[in-house]
Amino acid sequence: MKSEKRSYRRSLKNATLGIVAILPMMLGIVGLVGIFRAFITREMLASLFTGEAVHDTLIGTFAGMIAVGQALVSYVLGGELLGQGVSLYAVAAFILAWVTLGVVQLPLEAEVFGVRFTLLRNLLAFLFTIVTAVVSVWSAQWLM
Amino acid sequence: MADVTQKSPRRFRLRGVKFLGGVLVLYAVLFFWREAQTLTAMRFALEVLEEIVPILFVVVFLAGALHYWLDPKKLARHLGEDAGWHAWLIALGAGILSHGPMYAWYPMIEDLRRHGLRDGYITAFFYARAVKVPLLPMMVYYFGWFFTLFLSLYIVLAAWIQGLIVERIERRSGRCLWSKDAE
Repeated sequence: MKSEKRSYRRSLKNATLGIVAILPMMLGIVGLVGIFRAFITREMLASLFTGEAVHDTLIGTFAGMIAVGQALVSYVLGGELLGQGVSLYAVAAFILAWVTLGVVQLPLEAEVFGVRFTLLRNLLAFLFTIVTAVVSVWSAQWLM
Repeated sequence: MADVTQKSPRRFRLRGVKFLGGVLVLYAVLFFWREAQTLTAMRFALEVLEEIVPILFVVVFLAGALHYWLDPKKLARHLGEDAGWHAWLIALGAGILSHGPMYAWYPMIEDLRRHGLRDGYITAFFYARAVKVPLLPMMVYYFGWFFTLFLSLYIVLAAWIQGLIVERIERRSGRCLWSKDAE
């Protein structure tokens, strides 16, 4: 039993060391998140949309990529954009890219998982965000 | 993350020190350019830090417990090369239920990878995180039932397909995409 306790303590210690090892990188990402949130305002993001569906869907994906914050904020902002006449395709791409893609966390992802994996995962996520947004809107409109 | 496999300890090394230094320099430059906005940025950063600290504690305890209780061979069988459809369900379910910023989960995922977790499941896990169960009522309020339902279903489907694509690419290239050796 004593050896089990010692072993569990060691597991926790190693897990803690794992977090501590990437702490500088994580703090850097947190710092960047703060800068993005303070310097890239909701108004700036909203001003990117033109009302043209295809253009706005791409813009929505890119805007979601650079935006940071709680997913809830993306829903509120998405609701505001809908009210301003931005297409649901664009808003869907925006809220999806917000949570699945992140320019800010790319350095940490590449450091931890490697550049190849990070590039492939983000490329796939980018493409599937557009496809998922478009197909979701089609399906919802088909039923309504 | 440092190795938590007790059999093969890895040398401890801080990662991203230069990156953090760069961000601090950026803050210093921005402070002279836009003082008020930079202070706001610092406040936002502290808010994010407050948000992720509890999650990091959860990650430490989960990673420690996983390593202590799970036999690496069993884990590799459930989430590694010989894993079946249930592994996809675990990856997708874990993604849907996981909370907090994506990067808070990196250390634990990296640790599991060392135990044999496949890249396809990791890809699926990360994308499935787009389904935010506690926020579904909010999404329904803003975008309606049908849209919320279809978006959630398609996110899970897209996560699975992306995982399969990564698996296929790895199988063709015959190596792990994120292996440091492969770079």
